[in-house]
Amino acid sequence: MNIPDGILCSKTHEWVLEEDGCVSVGLTDWAVEQLGDIVFIELPEAGSTFNKDEVFSTIESVKAASEIYMPISGEIVEVNEQLINSPELINDDAFSAWLIKVKPQDFQQDSQGLLEYDDYKDEVQ
Amino acid sequence: MTTMTDKKTSLYDEHIKLNAKMVPFGGWIMPVQYEGIIKEHHATRNFAGLFDVSHMGEVYIKGKDSLEFLEYIVPQNLSQLKEGQAIYCQLPNKEGGLIDDLIIYNAKNIIEDVDYLIVINASRIDFDVPFMEKEAQKFDVKVINKSDDFSMLALQGPNSQYIIDKMGVNIDNQPEFFTFKKVLLDDCPVFLTRTGYTGEDGFEIIFEHKYASKLWNKILSYKDEFMVVPVGLGARDTLRLEAGLPLYGHELNENTTPLESSLGFFIPKEKEKDYNGKKLILGQKLNQIPLRRKLFAFIMEDRQIARNGYEVYIDNKKAGIVTSGAPSPTLGKNIGFCMIEFENLPSDLVAKLNNIKENIGTKIQIMVRNKLYNARIAKKPFVKKNYKK
Repeated sequence: MNIPDGILCSKTHEWVLEEDGCVSVGLTDWAVEQLGDIVFIELPEAGSTFNKDEVFSTIESVKAASEIYMPISGEIVEVNEQLINSPELINDDAFSAWLIKVKPQDFQQDSQGLLEYDDYKDEVQ
Repeated sequence: MTTMTDKKTSLYDEHIKLNAKMVPFGGWIMPVQYEGIIKEHHATRNFAGLFDVSHMGEVYIKGKDSLEFLEYIVPQNLSQLKEGQAIYCQLPNKEGGLIDDLIIYNAKNIIEDVDYLIVINASRIDFDVPFMEKEAQKFDVKVINKSDDFSMLALQGPNSQYIIDKMGVNIDNQPEFFTFKKVLLDDCPVFLTRTGYTGEDGFEIIFEHKYASKLWNKILSYKDEFMVVPVGLGARDTLRLEAGLPLYGHELNENTTPLESSLGFFIPKEKEKDYNGKKLILGQKLNQIPLRRKLFAFIMEDRQIARNGYEVYIDNKKAGIVTSGAPSPTLGKNIGFCMIEFENLPSDLVAKLNNIKENIGTKIQIMVRNKLYNARIAKKPFVKKNYKK
Protein backbone atom coordinates (compact mmCIF):
# COMPACT_ATOMS: atom_id res chain seq x y z
CA MET A 1 0.00 0.00 0.00
CA ASN A 2 1.26 3.42 -0.96
CA ILE A 3 0.99 6.05 1.76
CA PRO A 4 0.66 9.44 0.06
CA ASP A 5 3.00 12.23 1.18
CA GLY A 6 1.47 14.91 3.34
CA ILE A 7 -1.34 12.76 4.67
CA LEU A 8 -2.73 13.67 8.12
CA CYS A 9 -4.76 11.42 10.37
CA SER A 10 -7.38 11.98 13.06
CA LYS A 11 -7.61 10.07 16.30
CA THR A 12 -10.95 8.73 15.05
CA HIS A 13 -9.05 7.09 12.14
CA GLU A 14 -9.85 9.31 9.17
CA TRP A 15 -7.10 10.52 6.86
CA VAL A 16 -7.06 13.88 5.02
CA LEU A 17 -4.96 15.02 2.10
CA GLU A 18 -4.99 18.64 1.03
CA GLU A 19 -4.30 19.44 -2.63
CA ASP A 20 -4.90 22.87 -4.17
CA GLY A 21 -7.49 23.90 -1.58
CA CYS A 22 -9.47 20.67 -1.83
CA VAL A 23 -9.27 18.04 0.90
CA SER A 24 -9.79 14.31 0.28
CA VAL A 25 -11.02 12.30 3.26
CA GLY A 26 -10.74 8.55 3.75
CA LEU A 27 -10.32 5.86 6.38
CA THR A 28 -6.88 4.87 7.62
CA ASP A 29 -5.41 1.48 6.75
CA TRP A 30 -5.43 0.64 10.47
CA ALA A 31 -9.16 1.35 10.75
CA VAL A 32 -9.92 -0.66 7.61
CA GLU A 33 -7.87 -3.55 8.95
CA GLN A 34 -9.88 -3.44 12.18
CA LEU A 35 -13.21 -3.37 10.33
CA GLY A 36 -12.48 -6.37 8.11
CA ASP A 37 -14.56 -7.01 4.98
CA ILE A 38 -16.47 -3.82 4.17
CA VAL A 39 -19.85 -4.53 2.60
CA PHE A 40 -21.76 -1.25 2.66
CA ILE A 41 -21.19 2.48 2.92
CA GLU A 42 -23.64 5.35 3.25
CA LEU A 43 -22.22 8.60 1.91
CA PRO A 44 -23.61 12.13 2.27
CA GLU A 45 -24.77 14.22 -0.68
CA ALA A 46 -22.46 16.62 -2.44
CA GLY A 47 -23.32 20.18 -1.43
CA SER A 48 -24.00 19.33 2.22
CA THR A 49 -21.85 20.87 4.93
CA PHE A 50 -20.55 19.30 8.12
CA ASN A 51 -18.70 20.55 11.15
CA LYS A 52 -15.52 18.97 12.41
CA ASP A 53 -16.29 15.84 14.51
CA GLU A 54 -19.81 15.45 13.06
CA VAL A 55 -20.81 12.01 11.70
CA PHE A 56 -20.88 12.24 7.89
CA SER A 57 -20.98 8.56 6.89
CA THR A 58 -21.68 5.06 8.15
CA ILE A 59 -19.63 2.11 7.05
CA GLU A 60 -20.59 -1.51 7.58
CA SER A 61 -18.37 -4.54 7.76
CA VAL A 62 -19.82 -8.04 7.94
CA LYS A 63 -19.75 -7.76 11.73
CA ALA A 64 -20.88 -4.24 12.57
CA ALA A 65 -21.76 -0.69 11.57
CA SER A 66 -19.30 2.12 12.36
CA GLU A 67 -19.66 5.87 12.12
CA ILE A 68 -17.16 8.07 10.32
CA TYR A 69 -16.45 11.56 11.63
CA MET A 70 -15.52 14.75 9.76
CA PRO A 71 -11.86 15.46 10.51
CA ILE A 72 -12.34 19.08 9.36
CA SER A 73 -15.27 21.44 8.81
CA GLY A 74 -16.40 22.20 5.29
CA GLU A 75 -18.65 21.63 2.30
CA ILE A 76 -18.70 18.30 0.50
CA VAL A 77 -17.93 18.95 -3.15
CA GLU A 78 -17.62 15.36 -4.37
CA VAL A 79 -18.54 11.87 -3.18
CA ASN A 80 -16.77 8.70 -4.35
CA GLU A 81 -19.81 7.09 -6.01
CA GLN A 82 -17.77 4.06 -7.03
CA LEU A 83 -17.70 2.91 -3.41
CA ILE A 84 -21.49 2.59 -3.23
CA ASN A 85 -21.45 -0.45 -5.50
CA SER A 86 -17.90 -1.57 -4.68
CA PRO A 87 -17.25 -0.84 -1.00
CA GLU A 88 -14.58 -3.56 -1.01
CA LEU A 89 -12.29 -1.08 -2.82
CA ILE A 90 -11.72 0.41 0.64
CA ASN A 91 -10.27 -2.94 1.77
CA ASP A 92 -8.10 -3.12 -1.33
CA ASP A 93 -6.38 0.23 -0.74
CA ALA A 94 -7.49 2.49 2.07
CA PHE A 95 -5.54 5.48 0.74
CA SER A 96 -6.70 5.45 -2.87
CA ALA A 97 -10.32 4.85 -1.80
CA TRP A 98 -11.18 8.41 -0.77
CA LEU A 99 -14.75 8.80 0.50
CA ILE A 100 -15.42 12.49 0.01
CA LYS A 101 -13.72 15.68 -1.21
CA VAL A 102 -14.25 18.73 0.94
CA LYS A 103 -13.93 22.45 0.43
CA PRO A 104 -12.55 23.26 3.88
CA GLN A 105 -13.77 26.11 6.02
CA ASP A 106 -10.43 26.69 7.77
CA PHE A 107 -7.99 23.90 7.01
CA GLN A 108 -5.14 25.73 8.76
CA GLN A 109 -6.96 25.71 12.07
CA ASP A 110 -8.75 22.31 11.76
CA SER A 111 -5.60 20.45 10.76
CA GLN A 112 -3.76 21.47 13.93
CA GLY A 113 -5.28 18.62 15.91
CA LEU A 114 -4.39 16.03 13.23
CA LEU A 115 -1.35 13.75 13.33
CA GLU A 116 1.33 12.95 10.78
CA TYR A 117 0.92 9.34 9.59
CA ASP A 118 3.94 8.00 11.52
CA ASP A 119 2.77 9.61 14.76
CA TYR A 120 -0.73 8.26 14.18
CA LYS A 121 0.66 4.76 13.69
CA ASP A 122 2.61 5.05 16.97
CA GLU A 123 -0.58 6.16 18.68
CA VAL A 124 -2.75 3.24 17.54
CA GLN A 125 -0.17 0.49 17.95
CA MET B 1 -11.79 -4.68 25.13
CA THR B 2 -10.60 -7.93 26.62
CA THR B 3 -10.32 -8.17 30.36
CA MET B 4 -8.07 -10.14 32.67
CA THR B 5 -10.91 -12.53 33.44
CA ASP B 6 -11.47 -13.66 29.82
CA LYS B 7 -10.42 -17.29 29.54
CA LYS B 8 -8.10 -18.60 26.83
CA THR B 9 -8.63 -21.91 25.03
CA SER B 10 -5.77 -24.39 24.58
CA LEU B 11 -5.41 -23.03 21.06
CA TYR B 12 -4.89 -19.39 22.00
CA ASP B 13 -1.23 -19.43 20.90
CA GLU B 14 -2.17 -21.06 17.59
CA HIS B 15 -4.66 -18.25 16.91
CA ILE B 16 -2.04 -15.62 17.69
CA LYS B 17 0.45 -17.38 15.40
CA LEU B 18 -2.12 -17.20 12.60
CA ASN B 19 -2.59 -13.49 13.27
CA ALA B 20 -6.25 -13.91 14.23
CA LYS B 21 -8.20 -10.93 15.44
CA MET B 22 -9.19 -11.85 19.01
CA VAL B 23 -12.36 -10.65 20.75
CA PRO B 24 -14.11 -11.35 24.05
CA PHE B 25 -17.07 -13.74 23.68
CA GLY B 26 -19.09 -15.33 26.47
CA GLY B 27 -16.27 -14.94 29.00
CA TRP B 28 -13.61 -16.17 26.56
CA ILE B 29 -11.11 -14.52 24.29
CA MET B 30 -11.83 -16.03 20.89
CA PRO B 31 -10.75 -15.52 17.25
CA VAL B 32 -13.34 -13.49 15.31
CA GLN B 33 -11.48 -13.82 12.02
CA TYR B 34 -8.18 -14.87 10.47
CA GLU B 35 -7.98 -13.76 6.85
CA GLY B 36 -11.46 -12.33 6.49
CA ILE B 37 -15.03 -13.32 7.33
CA ILE B 38 -16.26 -13.56 3.73
CA LYS B 39 -13.34 -15.71 2.61
CA GLU B 40 -13.73 -18.00 5.63
CA HIS B 41 -17.48 -18.24 5.02
CA HIS B 42 -17.11 -19.33 1.37
CA ALA B 43 -14.28 -21.73 2.24
CA THR B 44 -16.58 -23.52 4.70
CA ARG B 45 -19.48 -23.75 2.23
CA ASN B 46 -17.28 -24.92 -0.64
CA PHE B 47 -14.40 -26.83 0.97
CA ALA B 48 -13.77 -26.99 4.72
CA GLY B 49 -13.47 -24.69 7.70
CA LEU B 50 -11.88 -25.42 11.08
CA PHE B 51 -13.30 -23.70 14.17
CA ASP B 52 -11.98 -23.64 17.73
CA VAL B 53 -15.15 -24.16 19.76
CA SER B 54 -13.40 -25.12 22.99
CA HIS B 55 -15.43 -22.52 24.85
CA MET B 56 -18.51 -24.77 24.51
CA GLY B 57 -19.49 -26.60 27.67
CA GLU B 58 -19.76 -30.35 28.27
CA VAL B 59 -21.82 -32.05 30.97
CA TYR B 60 -21.94 -35.74 31.88
CA ILE B 61 -25.13 -37.29 33.22
CA LYS B 62 -24.98 -40.61 35.03
CA GLY B 63 -27.07 -42.61 37.45
CA LYS B 64 -30.11 -44.86 37.67
CA ASP B 65 -32.54 -42.04 36.76
CA SER B 66 -30.52 -40.47 33.90
CA LEU B 67 -33.26 -40.91 31.32
CA GLU B 68 -36.09 -39.83 33.65
CA PHE B 69 -34.10 -36.78 34.72
CA LEU B 70 -33.33 -35.64 31.17
CA GLU B 71 -36.90 -36.21 30.04
CA TYR B 72 -37.98 -33.96 32.89
CA ILE B 73 -35.68 -31.09 31.86
CA VAL B 74 -36.21 -31.16 28.06
CA PRO B 75 -39.44 -31.30 26.00
CA GLN B 76 -38.15 -34.14 23.79
CA ASN B 77 -38.68 -37.89 24.15
CA LEU B 78 -35.33 -39.55 24.74
CA SER B 79 -36.31 -43.17 25.34
CA GLN B 80 -35.82 -43.96 21.64
CA LEU B 81 -32.39 -42.32 21.54
CA LYS B 82 -30.02 -45.20 20.92
CA GLU B 83 -26.40 -45.53 22.02
CA GLY B 84 -24.28 -43.14 19.99
CA GLN B 85 -27.26 -41.08 18.79
CA ALA B 86 -27.65 -37.36 19.38
CA ILE B 87 -30.68 -35.08 19.55
CA TYR B 88 -31.11 -31.30 19.49
CA CYS B 89 -32.98 -30.21 22.66
CA GLN B 90 -33.94 -27.13 24.62
CA LEU B 91 -33.62 -26.50 28.35
CA PRO B 92 -36.79 -24.68 29.47
CA ASN B 93 -37.32 -22.96 32.79
CA LYS B 94 -40.50 -23.59 34.81
CA GLU B 95 -42.38 -20.99 32.72
CA GLY B 96 -41.34 -22.46 29.37
CA GLY B 97 -38.73 -19.82 28.53
CA LEU B 98 -35.34 -21.13 27.47
CA ILE B 99 -32.30 -21.34 29.72
CA ASP B 100 -30.28 -22.78 26.83
CA ASP B 101 -30.37 -25.01 23.79
CA LEU B 102 -28.24 -28.13 23.75
CA ILE B 103 -27.31 -31.39 22.09
CA ILE B 104 -27.78 -34.56 24.11
CA TYR B 105 -25.71 -37.64 23.16
CA ASN B 106 -26.52 -41.12 24.41
CA ALA B 107 -23.04 -42.03 25.66
CA LYS B 108 -23.75 -45.47 27.10
CA ASN B 109 -20.97 -47.93 26.23
CA ILE B 110 -19.08 -45.10 24.51
CA ILE B 111 -17.92 -42.97 27.44
CA GLU B 112 -17.00 -45.13 30.40
CA ASP B 113 -19.39 -44.92 33.32
CA VAL B 114 -21.44 -42.14 31.67
CA ASP B 115 -25.02 -42.30 30.43
CA TYR B 116 -25.40 -39.02 28.51
CA LEU B 117 -23.10 -36.28 27.24
CA ILE B 118 -24.63 -32.83 26.86
CA VAL B 119 -22.98 -30.04 24.89
CA ILE B 120 -24.09 -26.58 26.02
CA ASN B 121 -23.39 -22.95 25.13
CA ALA B 122 -20.27 -21.34 26.62
CA SER B 123 -22.13 -18.28 27.88
CA ARG B 124 -24.75 -20.48 29.61
CA ILE B 125 -22.55 -22.95 31.52
CA ASP B 126 -22.96 -20.92 34.72
CA PHE B 127 -26.74 -21.00 34.33
CA ASP B 128 -27.29 -24.52 33.00
CA VAL B 129 -25.15 -26.41 35.49
CA PRO B 130 -26.65 -24.98 38.72
CA PHE B 131 -30.14 -25.38 37.23
CA MET B 132 -29.52 -29.00 36.29
CA GLU B 133 -27.94 -29.73 39.67
CA LYS B 134 -30.97 -28.33 41.44
CA GLU B 135 -33.39 -30.31 39.28
CA ALA B 136 -31.26 -33.42 39.78
CA GLN B 137 -31.96 -33.43 43.52
CA LYS B 138 -35.31 -35.08 42.84
CA PHE B 139 -33.62 -37.94 40.96
CA ASP B 140 -30.97 -40.60 41.50
CA VAL B 141 -28.59 -38.94 39.06
CA LYS B 142 -25.29 -37.07 38.94
CA VAL B 143 -24.66 -33.91 36.88
CA ILE B 144 -20.93 -33.50 36.25
CA ASN B 145 -19.64 -30.32 34.66
CA LYS B 146 -16.76 -31.38 32.38
CA SER B 147 -16.44 -28.05 30.59
CA ASP B 148 -12.93 -27.36 31.87
CA ASP B 149 -11.68 -30.80 30.87
CA PHE B 150 -12.18 -30.72 27.10
CA SER B 151 -11.15 -28.83 24.01
CA MET B 152 -13.45 -28.92 21.00
CA LEU B 153 -13.00 -28.36 17.29
CA ALA B 154 -15.63 -28.09 14.58
CA LEU B 155 -14.59 -29.18 11.08
CA GLN B 156 -17.33 -28.15 8.68
CA GLY B 157 -17.87 -28.24 4.93
CA PRO B 158 -18.03 -30.82 2.13
CA ASN B 159 -14.33 -31.75 2.33
CA SER B 160 -14.45 -32.47 6.07
CA GLN B 161 -15.11 -36.19 5.54
CA TYR B 162 -12.00 -36.54 3.38
CA ILE B 163 -9.81 -34.88 6.00
CA ILE B 164 -11.18 -37.15 8.75
CA ASP B 165 -10.59 -40.10 6.39
CA LYS B 166 -6.93 -39.12 6.00
CA MET B 167 -6.59 -38.81 9.76
CA GLY B 168 -7.47 -42.45 10.37
CA VAL B 169 -11.26 -42.74 10.32
CA ASN B 170 -12.32 -44.13 6.93
CA ILE B 171 -15.39 -42.61 5.30
CA ASP B 172 -17.26 -45.91 5.88
CA ASN B 173 -16.45 -45.83 9.60
CA GLN B 174 -17.38 -42.20 10.17
CA PRO B 175 -20.36 -41.52 12.42
CA GLU B 176 -23.59 -40.79 10.57
CA PHE B 177 -25.53 -37.54 10.85
CA PHE B 178 -26.37 -36.76 14.50
CA THR B 179 -24.43 -39.68 15.95
CA PHE B 180 -21.01 -39.91 17.59
CA LYS B 181 -18.21 -42.40 18.11
CA LYS B 182 -15.09 -42.72 20.21
CA VAL B 183 -12.22 -43.01 17.73
CA LEU B 184 -8.50 -42.45 17.30
CA LEU B 185 -8.00 -39.39 15.13
CA ASP B 186 -4.36 -39.05 14.10
CA ASP B 187 -3.67 -41.35 17.10
CA CYS B 188 -5.47 -39.03 19.53
CA PRO B 189 -8.48 -40.44 21.42
CA VAL B 190 -11.48 -38.23 20.59
CA PHE B 191 -15.27 -38.19 20.54
CA LEU B 192 -16.13 -37.65 16.89
CA THR B 193 -19.65 -36.31 16.30
CA ARG B 194 -21.46 -35.69 12.99
CA THR B 195 -22.94 -32.37 14.06
CA GLY B 196 -22.28 -28.68 13.53
CA TYR B 197 -23.58 -25.16 13.37
CA THR B 198 -23.10 -24.17 9.73
CA GLY B 199 -25.70 -26.14 7.75
CA GLU B 200 -22.90 -28.10 6.07
CA ASP B 201 -21.83 -31.69 6.51
CA GLY B 202 -19.11 -31.85 9.12
CA PHE B 203 -17.87 -32.95 12.49
CA GLU B 204 -17.39 -31.74 16.00
CA ILE B 205 -14.42 -33.24 17.80
CA ILE B 206 -14.17 -33.36 21.61
CA PHE B 207 -10.89 -34.33 23.31
CA GLU B 208 -8.48 -33.65 26.16
CA HIS B 209 -6.62 -30.33 26.00
CA LYS B 210 -3.23 -31.97 25.44
CA TYR B 211 -4.20 -33.00 21.89
CA ALA B 212 -5.48 -29.58 20.86
CA SER B 213 -2.45 -28.15 19.03
CA LYS B 214 -1.60 -31.45 17.38
CA LEU B 215 -5.10 -31.94 15.94
CA TRP B 216 -5.49 -28.26 15.00
CA ASN B 217 -2.23 -28.21 13.04
CA LYS B 218 -2.76 -31.63 11.49
CA ILE B 219 -6.17 -30.62 10.10
CA LEU B 220 -4.79 -27.32 8.78
CA SER B 221 -1.92 -29.21 7.10
CA TYR B 222 -4.53 -30.32 4.51
CA LYS B 223 -4.90 -26.73 3.31
CA ASP B 224 -3.54 -27.44 -0.16
CA GLU B 225 -5.15 -30.83 -0.62
CA PHE B 226 -8.61 -30.03 0.77
CA MET B 227 -8.58 -26.22 0.94
CA VAL B 228 -9.30 -26.16 4.68
CA VAL B 229 -8.92 -22.79 6.43
CA PRO B 230 -9.24 -21.67 10.06
CA VAL B 231 -12.57 -19.90 10.64
CA GLY B 232 -13.46 -17.41 13.36
CA LEU B 233 -16.65 -16.46 15.17
CA GLY B 234 -17.50 -13.87 12.49
CA ALA B 235 -18.09 -16.45 9.76
CA ARG B 236 -19.54 -18.88 12.31
CA ASP B 237 -22.28 -16.29 12.81
CA THR B 238 -23.00 -15.69 9.10
CA LEU B 239 -22.93 -19.44 8.39
CA ARG B 240 -25.39 -20.32 11.17
CA LEU B 241 -27.62 -17.40 10.24
CA GLU B 242 -27.85 -18.56 6.60
CA ALA B 243 -28.63 -22.05 7.87
CA GLY B 244 -31.48 -20.61 9.98
CA LEU B 245 -29.95 -21.79 13.27
CA PRO B 246 -30.68 -19.78 16.44
CA LEU B 247 -28.06 -18.34 18.79
CA TYR B 248 -28.73 -18.18 22.50
CA GLY B 249 -29.06 -14.60 23.76
CA HIS B 250 -30.30 -13.50 20.33
CA GLU B 251 -33.10 -15.77 19.10
CA LEU B 252 -33.45 -17.68 22.38
CA ASN B 253 -33.93 -16.30 25.87
CA GLU B 254 -35.60 -16.91 29.22
CA ASN B 255 -38.85 -15.13 28.21
CA THR B 256 -39.42 -16.94 24.95
CA THR B 257 -40.69 -20.49 24.46
CA PRO B 258 -39.39 -22.91 21.80
CA LEU B 259 -42.58 -22.37 19.77
CA GLU B 260 -42.15 -18.61 19.93
CA SER B 261 -38.53 -19.01 18.82
CA SER B 262 -39.76 -21.00 15.78
CA LEU B 263 -38.42 -24.29 17.13
CA GLY B 264 -41.86 -25.95 17.08
CA PHE B 265 -40.55 -28.59 14.68
CA PHE B 266 -38.41 -30.01 17.51
CA ILE B 267 -41.24 -30.21 20.05
CA PRO B 268 -43.08 -33.55 20.17
CA LYS B 269 -46.88 -33.40 20.14
CA GLU B 270 -47.07 -36.35 22.43
CA LYS B 271 -45.20 -36.71 25.66
CA GLU B 272 -46.93 -38.26 28.63
CA LYS B 273 -44.31 -37.41 31.22
CA ASP B 274 -44.24 -34.00 32.82
CA TYR B 275 -41.37 -31.66 31.96
CA ASN B 276 -40.40 -28.10 32.86
CA GLY B 277 -42.61 -25.59 31.07
CA LYS B 278 -44.81 -28.34 29.63
CA LYS B 279 -48.10 -26.54 30.11
CA LEU B 280 -47.16 -23.56 27.93
CA ILE B 281 -44.85 -25.36 25.50
CA LEU B 282 -47.23 -28.21 24.72
CA GLY B 283 -50.25 -25.87 24.83
CA GLN B 284 -48.61 -23.71 22.15
CA LYS B 285 -47.57 -26.77 20.15
CA LEU B 286 -51.17 -27.99 20.08
CA ASN B 287 -52.47 -24.47 19.24
CA GLN B 288 -54.38 -24.37 22.53
CA ILE B 289 -52.41 -21.43 23.90
CA PRO B 290 -51.62 -18.47 21.62
CA LEU B 291 -48.05 -17.37 20.97
CA ARG B 292 -47.13 -14.07 22.65
CA ARG B 293 -44.43 -13.33 20.09
CA LYS B 294 -42.73 -15.15 17.26
CA LEU B 295 -39.37 -15.28 15.59
CA PHE B 296 -39.25 -14.68 11.84
CA ALA B 297 -36.53 -14.83 9.26
CA PHE B 298 -36.37 -11.84 6.92
CA ILE B 299 -34.52 -10.57 3.87
CA MET B 300 -33.83 -6.85 3.40
CA GLU B 301 -35.14 -5.36 0.17
CA ASP B 302 -33.11 -2.21 0.65
CA ARG B 303 -29.32 -2.35 0.86
CA GLN B 304 -29.10 -1.44 4.54
CA ILE B 305 -28.03 -4.14 7.00
CA ALA B 306 -30.29 -4.91 9.95
CA ARG B 307 -28.39 -5.50 13.19
CA ASN B 308 -29.20 -6.99 16.57
CA GLY B 309 -31.44 -4.58 18.52
CA TYR B 310 -32.79 -2.55 15.59
CA GLU B 311 -36.54 -1.88 15.75
CA VAL B 312 -38.98 -3.67 13.46
CA TYR B 313 -42.13 -1.98 12.16
CA ILE B 314 -45.22 -3.30 10.42
CA ASP B 315 -47.43 -0.72 8.69
CA ASN B 316 -45.36 2.03 10.32
CA LYS B 317 -46.06 0.76 13.85
CA LYS B 318 -43.39 -0.68 16.08
CA ALA B 319 -43.85 -4.44 16.18
CA GLY B 320 -40.62 -5.99 17.38
CA ILE B 321 -36.88 -6.14 17.32
CA VAL B 322 -34.08 -7.60 15.20
CA THR B 323 -32.34 -10.44 17.05
CA SER B 324 -29.55 -11.09 14.50
CA GLY B 325 -28.69 -9.58 11.17
CA ALA B 326 -25.83 -9.69 8.70
CA PRO B 327 -24.98 -9.71 5.04
CA SER B 328 -25.32 -13.22 3.62
CA PRO B 329 -22.14 -13.97 1.65
CA THR B 330 -23.86 -16.88 -0.13
CA LEU B 331 -26.98 -14.96 -1.21
CA GLY B 332 -25.45 -11.53 -1.63
CA LYS B 333 -28.44 -10.15 0.31
CA ASN B 334 -28.83 -8.86 3.83
CA ILE B 335 -30.66 -11.30 6.07
CA GLY B 336 -31.73 -11.60 9.68
CA PHE B 337 -34.07 -12.83 12.37
CA CYS B 338 -36.60 -10.67 14.20
CA MET B 339 -38.91 -11.23 17.15
CA ILE B 340 -42.39 -9.81 16.45
CA GLU B 341 -44.54 -9.04 19.52
CA PHE B 342 -48.16 -10.05 18.90
CA GLU B 343 -49.66 -8.12 21.83
CA ASN B 344 -50.41 -4.85 20.04
CA LEU B 345 -50.95 -6.14 16.52
CA PRO B 346 -54.42 -6.42 14.86
CA SER B 347 -55.78 -9.96 15.14
CA ASP B 348 -56.02 -10.52 11.37
CA LEU B 349 -52.31 -9.70 11.04
CA VAL B 350 -51.44 -12.07 13.89
CA ALA B 351 -53.49 -14.79 12.19
CA LYS B 352 -51.61 -14.19 8.94
CA LEU B 353 -48.24 -14.25 10.70
CA ASN B 354 -49.17 -17.49 12.46
CA ASN B 355 -50.03 -19.14 9.15
CA ILE B 356 -46.84 -20.62 7.77
CA LYS B 357 -48.33 -20.75 4.27
CA GLU B 358 -49.28 -17.09 4.28
CA ASN B 359 -46.63 -15.31 6.31
CA ILE B 360 -43.77 -15.64 3.81
CA GLY B 361 -43.37 -12.37 1.93
CA THR B 362 -45.12 -10.24 4.55
CA LYS B 363 -43.73 -6.71 4.35
CA ILE B 364 -41.91 -5.41 7.41
CA GLN B 365 -39.69 -2.41 7.93
CA ILE B 366 -36.46 -2.09 9.86
CA MET B 367 -35.32 1.13 11.51
CA VAL B 368 -31.72 1.75 10.49
CA ARG B 369 -30.18 5.00 11.73
CA ASN B 370 -33.59 6.64 12.24
CA LYS B 371 -35.00 5.69 8.84
CA LEU B 372 -37.30 2.83 7.90
CA TYR B 373 -36.14 0.37 5.24
CA ASN B 374 -38.11 -2.45 3.61
CA ALA B 375 -37.73 -6.12 4.31
CA ARG B 376 -39.89 -9.21 3.81
CA ILE B 377 -40.46 -12.24 5.97
CA ALA B 378 -38.62 -15.18 4.45
CA LYS B 379 -38.41 -18.92 4.76
CA LYS B 380 -35.69 -20.43 6.88
CA PRO B 381 -33.14 -21.73 6.22
CA PHE B 382 -31.96 -18.99 3.88
CA VAL B 383 -29.48 -21.43 2.34
CA LYS B 384 -30.27 -25.11 1.80
CA LYS B 385 -28.63 -27.41 4.32
CA ASN B 386 -26.03 -29.82 3.02
CA TYR B 387 -26.08 -32.50 5.66
CA LYS B 388 -24.94 -35.99 4.70
CA LYS B 389 -27.85 -38.14 5.81
